[in-house]
Amino acid sequence: MKRANIVASLLLIALACFYAYLTSRLPDRNLPNTLGSDFMPWLLTTVLFLLSFWLLLQNCVQGTTENFNPDISIKEGLGIVFLTVFIYLYVKAIQFFGFILITPLFLAVLMWISGSRKWKEIVFVSIGSSFCIYLFFQKIFRVILPDGTIF
Amino acid sequence: MDGALLAALFDILQPYNILASVVGVLFGLFIGSTPGLTISLGMVLLLPITFKLEAVTSICLLLGLYASGMAGGSLSAILLNIPGTPSASATAIDGHVMAQKGRAGEAMGVAVSASFFGGIFGLTCLVLAAPIIAKFALNFGAPELFAIVLLGLTLICSFGQESVVKGLISGVIGLIIMTVGLDPMMGTPRFTFGEVELQAGISFLPAMIGLFAIPQILVGIAGKIPVIPKYQEDVSGVLPKIKDLLKLVKTMLLGSVIGTGIGAIPGAGGPIAVFLSYDYSKKISKHGHRYGKGEPEGVAAPESSNNAVAGGALIPMLTLGIPGDPITAILLGALMIHGLIPGPLLFQQSPQFVYSVFWAFLVANLMTLIIAFSTIKIWVRVLKVPQRVLLPLIVILCIVGTYALRNTFFDTGIMFGFGLLGYFMKKCGFPIVPMLLAIILGPNLEEHLRMSLIISQGDYSIFITHPICLALIIVSIVSFIGPLVWPLIRKYRGNT
Repeated sequence: MKRANIVASLLLIALACFYAYLTSRLPDRNLPNTLGSDFMPWLLTTVLFLLSFWLLLQNCVQGTTENFNPDISIKEGLGIVFLTVFIYLYVKAIQFFGFILITPLFLAVLMWISGSRKWKEIVFVSIGSSFCIYLFFQKIFRVILPDGTIF
Repeated sequence: MDGALLAALFDILQPYNILASVVGVLFGLFIGSTPGLTISLGMVLLLPITFKLEAVTSICLLLGLYASGMAGGSLSAILLNIPGTPSASATAIDGHVMAQKGRAGEAMGVAVSASFFGGIFGLTCLVLAAPIIAKFALNFGAPELFAIVLLGLTLICSFGQESVVKGLISGVIGLIIMTVGLDPMMGTPRFTFGEVELQAGISFLPAMIGLFAIPQILVGIAGKIPVIPKYQEDVSGVLPKIKDLLKLVKTMLLGSVIGTGIGAIPGAGGPIAVFLSYDYSKKISKHGHRYGKGEPEGVAAPESSNNAVAGGALIPMLTLGIPGDPITAILLGALMIHGLIPGPLLFQQSPQFVYSVFWAFLVANLMTLIIAFSTIKIWVRVLKVPQRVLLPLIVILCIVGTYALRNTFFDTGIMFGFGLLGYFMKKCGFPIVPMLLAIILGPNLEEHLRMSLIISQGDYSIFITHPICLALIIVSIVSFIGPLVWPLIRKYRGNT
């Protein structure tokens, strides 16, 4: 945990430096006697840098009594990467097939990934809930759902 | 004033507003009674629906969820010993022991009744205190408003966090995120990287959904870690007897007073209120020795307290625009979507809407009482819905919700970005609530700060010459620096 905090504080110091670099490139356009658009970013850079340095110092000098688990297992890490890619593909597929066509398939696969092995449950929930979402959002509340090229 | 009060009542009693309240209550009971799903998550899932609704109908829906979610949270606390919401943590202590002794129905009956009592008490305080505070706050100018937002942020970032530094860092990162987009005073693009979509800034809705929902989905689906447990038994005998409830009035009153008071302090929140109520009621009760062994008073105190928190948290949110807890922060966001900016001016410009909020909260509490008692057995069955079904559905609702904001998948990408950020923040012990509040309050903070300096023509003494502003800034500095320095002073004193 102490090591995780040290790594986090170093990453935050790097973030503060990157933010400072971006802030230094902001256009200088201002009214007389007023603060420019870079005032708040510079202030936040300073505070973030000081707090990150404090966190680093605190953990190097006295350690931590916090209770958290920073470990990510290989299985969980791969699962997150797979899930992110899968959701990205779903979003891309919606833009071609449309929400109502692709969502039951996406839900069915996601339920299977989540551990569902009963095919009746998978079929009923994936088709039923997709239809309910379409009905409630598009037809009742008039919230626009994503259209695709073919539907 | 009376005209506006009656007009607001008439508005709330319209069938579609009552229906919205019922839907909110049902959804809140579902969310509250399902461990792993929080009221905040429920709120962000419902937000996209409110885009197309009137502001009053939206508030009926969301307040219904708020009031019932608090009550629903106690059901899983009693049956599973797993609080459905963090505010139901103390309920589990005696509630679950009662359930183990075969008195689950009685415990749930006491919990729902006490929730109603607390909700009505909190509402009464809200109705009495809010107009007075709002009238006083009308005299505030830009420096005072800046100081109030600063105070709200520093209190929330530093109070109640396991690591104060991490709470503050989380808040600062939230403020950094909110600097993306056009500068509010000069219109200069900041950190947009040439993206047109970023010029309007990062909307807080994808950020909220990402921070609250995605980490849970990642842990549940990708990590295959159970976040939603199941319950297998049925319960009976939930309606409490009047004489039994009368015995609990003193306990419920104490819980309600503590809940409202704590709720009104930004950042303090429900979990602190419930444990304080539990502890105090144990100390003053004749049956203190029975606490922890299945005592109904041990259920009534925290339950009345957590619902009173809702009324208390609405006081600073409506009068000063400072949310008392994450849920009221989301409510604040919902009102902003409808062009209503909570604060003292809301009472002057839209008094009817303010009264509608009061009535909607009353209806929400009444509906919770009626619906919770009549459907309690259904919510026990909800605990049997498996994670493998719930989590995929939440993924779809998150995607639909963020797309509906501006009909673009750009916001869906932003949501996943925040989701991954929230996941890693949780893993590294960084709290996400300060970041969320900074995202919501950040633009106001910068706007009031720069407006103050335009008024004073760049003279910083404006923050010292206004006494209320000075007092609030001093408290902010103490709450910012105090928790950082205090442990060092204590350690130094210990060494000497």
